[in-house]
Amino acid sequence: MDVLLNCAVNTAAVPVLDRRRPAVLAPFLGESVLVHALAGLAAAGTRRVCLLPADRAEEFRPFVGRGNPWGLEIQLAPAGGPPPPEFATARAVLLDRLPQLPDQPLWESYPGWFAAQQALLPTVARQRVGMREVSPGVFVGLRSQVAADAQLLAPCWIGANVFVGPSAIIGPAAIVEDGSYVDAGAEISGSLLGPGTYAGSFTEIRGSFAAGSELLNLASGSVTEVTDRFLLGTVQPPAGGGGGWRRLFQLGRPSRARPVAADRTALTGGWGTTGERLEGNPGGSEPGRMPPAGL
Amino acid sequence: MKIQQQANTLVLSDITELNAANSSAFRDQARTALGEQCANVDIDLSQTRRVDSSGLGALISLQKTVCARGGSIRILRPTPIVSQILELTRLHRVFEIVGN
Repeated sequence: MDVLLNCAVNTAAVPVLDRRRPAVLAPFLGESVLVHALAGLAAAGTRRVCLLPADRAEEFRPFVGRGNPWGLEIQLAPAGGPPPPEFATARAVLLDRLPQLPDQPLWESYPGWFAAQQALLPTVARQRVGMREVSPGVFVGLRSQVAADAQLLAPCWIGANVFVGPSAIIGPAAIVEDGSYVDAGAEISGSLLGPGTYAGSFTEIRGSFAAGSELLNLASGSVTEVTDRFLLGTVQPPAGGGGGWRRLFQLGRPSRARPVAADRTALTGGWGTTGERLEGNPGGSEPGRMPPAGL
Repeated sequence: MKIQQQANTLVLSDITELNAANSSAFRDQARTALGEQCANVDIDLSQTRRVDSSGLGALISLQKTVCARGGSIRILRPTPIVSQILELTRLHRVFEIVGN
């Protein structure tokens, strides 16, 4: 079965999601909306997909590659251009909802977009490599560290390479994306912490989407740029780059840093810059494939 | 910034920014205007577009001054941006907020 996947979705109600990247590439449970859509189409028996981007077509390929992880053959039409002739009889699908959630529109409101993630969370979490259900409804990803006295309240998603500090409270209804850092005493509920985002000590994020230094209120759509990095910001890679040799060197020397600082290095070391993507290797859970921080 | 006195309440309004650039001036002007007669302070943040930790520090400093005199401080009609920062820093539990 062939599918023409129209990515030219109407984001008038959620303009922030379409600002830095096409909305279908916005972070969504460790991947992007598009990646989850492709997984859903593959599960439904689709074999060939032609993507029809509205704009910024060059940003799609790093996310989907050639479609190998899903057993798909993916073609990318030029932005705004006609589909290839071999897809003339293909079924047209508008990516305004996921195949896995046919009754859940994605782009009608920010709460709707967040609700779709909540609805898909248990299914995706149980399929994701390395993710464990540490208690009912609480999922923690690969290489994540959670302090012993942190509270994780279901439903809750902690992605890969996340650090949750002492006395932090995550959940209920919280999604902490890959590579994020929740400092001691912070509280996140009814919210989404974007990939590679730092939430400072004793901050409280409720009903919001925090990504980088930007904070979006899901109910009102109001966006605030937080200028104080100790409150909200992007997780920075260690100075001088962070390769494997650097980490080996740090393992071998006596530690003078606080454990938290060492953890931060472990979180970011070896990724290059946060937001860097590894082309041609989609579908996994590598932190290097995170979408860039920011709304 | 506009400063008005209504009975024993000092009303501060027309504040477009409350950040490192003007927080010290804001705090000093407010303290000077407070004088001996005013016990309470109302801060109208309906025009405020930027707030950072320095601005929040000025608000907390002013609150300590006012509370030491037995008065109270209220924040009036904060913009969504201000509300988000207050909630992020949990200061919405410290200040009385009116007309959010």
